[in-house]
Amino acid sequence: MNITISDLHFSYAPNVKALNGISLTINAGEQVAIIGQNGAGKTTLVRHLNGLLKPTSGSVSIGDWDTTKHSVAKLASKVGYVFQNPDEQLFSKDVLTEVEFGPKNLGYKKNKIDQLVKRALELTELTGKQETNPYDLSPTWRKMVALASILAMDTPIVIFDEPTTGQDFTNITRIANVIAELKKTGKTVITITHDIDFCAENFERVIALSKGQVLLDGSPREILGQEEILAQTYVDPPQLTRLGKKIGLQETVITPQEFLKALAQRAG
Amino acid sequence: MYIARASGLHQLHPLTKVLLTFCLLIAGLALPGNWTSYLIILLVIFPLSVWGKVFPNLLRITWLVSLPFAISVILIQSLFWGTGTPLFEFWIFAPKLEGARYAVISLGKIILVMSDFLLFSLTTRPDALMIALKQAGMPSSIAYIIVTTLQIVPSFQRKGATILDAQRSRGLETEGNLFVRAKALVPIVLPLVLGSLMEVEERAIAIEARAFNSRQTETSLIEIPDTQLQKNFRTVILIVMFLLIIFGILWRL
Amino acid sequence: MAFINIQNLTYQYPTAKAPVLQNINLQINEGEFVAVIGANGAGKSTLCYALAGFVPHFFKGEFSGVVEVNGIQSSQAALAEWVLNVGLAFQNPFNQISGAKYTVFEEIAFGLENIGVEREQMKSRIEAAMKLTGIAELADRSPYSLSGGQQQRVALTSILVMQPKLLVLDEPTSQMDPIGTREIFAVIRDLSNSGMTVVMAEHKMEWIANFADRVIALKDGQILLEGKPNEVLTSDVLAENGFGISRYTSTAREAQKRNLWKKDSLPVTLEEAVEGFRRK
Ligand SMILES: Nc1ncnc2c1ncn2[C@@H]1O[C@H](COP(=O)(O)OP(=O)(O)O)[C@@H](O)[C@H]1O
Ligand SMILES: Nc1ncnc2c1ncn2[C@@H]1O[C@H](COP(=O)(O)OP(=O)(O)O)[C@@H](O)[C@H]1O
Ligand SMILES: [Mg+2]
Ligand SMILES: [Mg+2]
Repeated sequence: MNITISDLHFSYAPNVKALNGISLTINAGEQVAIIGQNGAGKTTLVRHLNGLLKPTSGSVSIGDWDTTKHSVAKLASKVGYVFQNPDEQLFSKDVLTEVEFGPKNLGYKKNKIDQLVKRALELTELTGKQETNPYDLSPTWRKMVALASILAMDTPIVIFDEPTTGQDFTNITRIANVIAELKKTGKTVITITHDIDFCAENFERVIALSKGQVLLDGSPREILGQEEILAQTYVDPPQLTRLGKKIGLQETVITPQEFLKALAQRAG
Repeated sequence: MYIARASGLHQLHPLTKVLLTFCLLIAGLALPGNWTSYLIILLVIFPLSVWGKVFPNLLRITWLVSLPFAISVILIQSLFWGTGTPLFEFWIFAPKLEGARYAVISLGKIILVMSDFLLFSLTTRPDALMIALKQAGMPSSIAYIIVTTLQIVPSFQRKGATILDAQRSRGLETEGNLFVRAKALVPIVLPLVLGSLMEVEERAIAIEARAFNSRQTETSLIEIPDTQLQKNFRTVILIVMFLLIIFGILWRL
Repeated sequence: MAFINIQNLTYQYPTAKAPVLQNINLQINEGEFVAVIGANGAGKSTLCYALAGFVPHFFKGEFSGVVEVNGIQSSQAALAEWVLNVGLAFQNPFNQISGAKYTVFEEIAFGLENIGVEREQMKSRIEAAMKLTGIAELADRSPYSLSGGQQQRVALTSILVMQPKLLVLDEPTSQMDPIGTREIFAVIRDLSNSGMTVVMAEHKMEWIANFADRVIALKDGQILLEGKPNEVLTSDVLAENGFGISRYTSTAREAQKRNLWKKDSLPVTLEEAVEGFRRK
């Protein structure tokens, strides 16, 4: 299911323009990271993908659905959206009920729901916490519950808004595993993140936004080496990319594996 | 709820507006006559809101918040009013002229309270109010509680909207018949309440960390202009309020 | 005598079954910039609260041991007095506004009003602080309509402006963009150079390595390691305990195994990595 965005403009108020003519196509099964400075319009952009916001002008389609013609609740069967703040969505007495909520709304059959929920809990390592009240969990785990509750909806497109903020190493690895698993099952993943190393290591396409426009769009290798342009939107290249450049490696490297390989080649 | 406008009403000292608000309220409740509330709304509150350039906003919000009261008062009267001149009969409804009269009169009081309060909050900056209350000798913790309570409605609206978005994104139907809407209530109201409880604790830390309870004499960033004329006016309002209360008590004896 | 002196600090939240901080001993000098690292749940925030006086004064619970700042013990002082010397920006930026103010500029004034700073001085201090944290252009915005990163800057500025002797920051850059994060670290470094003591819970190893004087690694409420960034962040103990480390360190460790890193010590900053990997 492709996402087509054409000449999208959006203003929160007549003088608060957040998106300024964005055109993009995201193909089914792509793993896309969206980066860019605070206030660049990242959240505003992804909120258009499930119809929470409607274009001021231009259009957004999910497959052949124009987002202005379908309710958010209907679009939810195609696009899952994990909010940045889990406390805005958790309400159930236990984790299990919370995770079942989405798939039940979508009207799936009982045994499909059971399967999806079980899978989502496994992926987020919440198995064993099913009976806990989400509000008794730490903020980190609450974030995982929110994530599981969207995964269980089994949508072809999944959006994460800053899943890595405030997370420790173990949790970032956990989230990376979830994304890898989604990729394996052919889902489209769109993730907003400020963690550029995480971005370099887990995505096949990077879109840098700046002031409501697309600044750069391409593979991590093409995009993440462009230090001067990225600086316009307050982003540094990944650590190893900066290092590679400084020690004079020929090509742009972005991951540890690439760096070590290039180093070995140079050593001969 | 405050709406920034350049108007004379906006520039009045917050205390002047507090007193005026109470005075209108007391007038509506203390003065005799069945239609007094409506007269005050038409002849004082509406003109004042025009002066404050918030008339359309006042009208709209008053309508929105009074409507549920209106519906329930009218329903109850037409169901349970015992004897009187029947207006019409339909199924279990049998409204009487006297009942309808009573409903309209009591609604006047509700609308007065709403519009009076709205007039105040649409034209008074909460922080200016807080400073004014403190300068008038109110302890800052009480002033703070009053001011943040005044902002509960917009703050709930803001949070409610975000939660609504999150749940719709999980496939929750919120549009449709009454049953659909009623079912949507729990997943929206619960995070709102739990979130607010958490917020109260964190707010307490935030203001404490910024020396809210320190015993130093406080200063204020913004100046709140006051005039001798307004001071005199406030004294007059106070006297009027006092007289109104006395009058109200005597009248009812 | 150290500026901050923590002795045998053990603390348990009232609703918890076990202590979250266990037997913490720590001395910090005036003007030091100390970073606290650790997994989620390690006790970083609780340690921040203990320094800022909210543990035990606000949260209650079972508190034993000593937290002393500038010669005064927190358990002997009233919280209202304690906060005059110790500023805290806590983890969640969303609820960190007073709720009684109408613009960002006035929001930042809240603390200064409470300590009775005179109006003209208040304005110049706010302007200077906003310039420092890069939010001058937000002055007239409503504190509610900001994005996470912007709210975080406002929360930080609201505390900075009060010029506390000790600044306690709990993950102050979590929502910020990468270069914004680096800039805030640089600002904090400057403050510490000019004599402010800073304790900051953080995950971002590269900037800790570049800017902090000392690193405390917490695990399950205990101090696992403590020392200079290049000692702590390159320690095997850290890696074995599931801490995140910068790509410079992890890649150099890998390179070392393949004989591509020749130095004895591992790098923690870009400069050190460049130094070690550069072709001789
Ligand atoms: N609800 C809102 N009302 C008004 N302005 C908003 C609102 N949400 C975001 N903005 C503004 O729109 C711009 C883009 O915001 P956002 O999409 O949240 O940025 P990002 O996610 O890239 O940090 C920012 O200038 C922000 O202040
Ligand atoms: N108010 C509280 N009441 C009870 N337990 C708490 C409270 N706050 C934190 N905890 C618990 O204390 C432990 C340490 O938490 P915290 O200091 O927030 O860690 P960190 O900041 O390193 O993530 C966690 O297990 C957490 O669940
Ligand atoms: Mg955002
Ligand atoms: Mg914490």
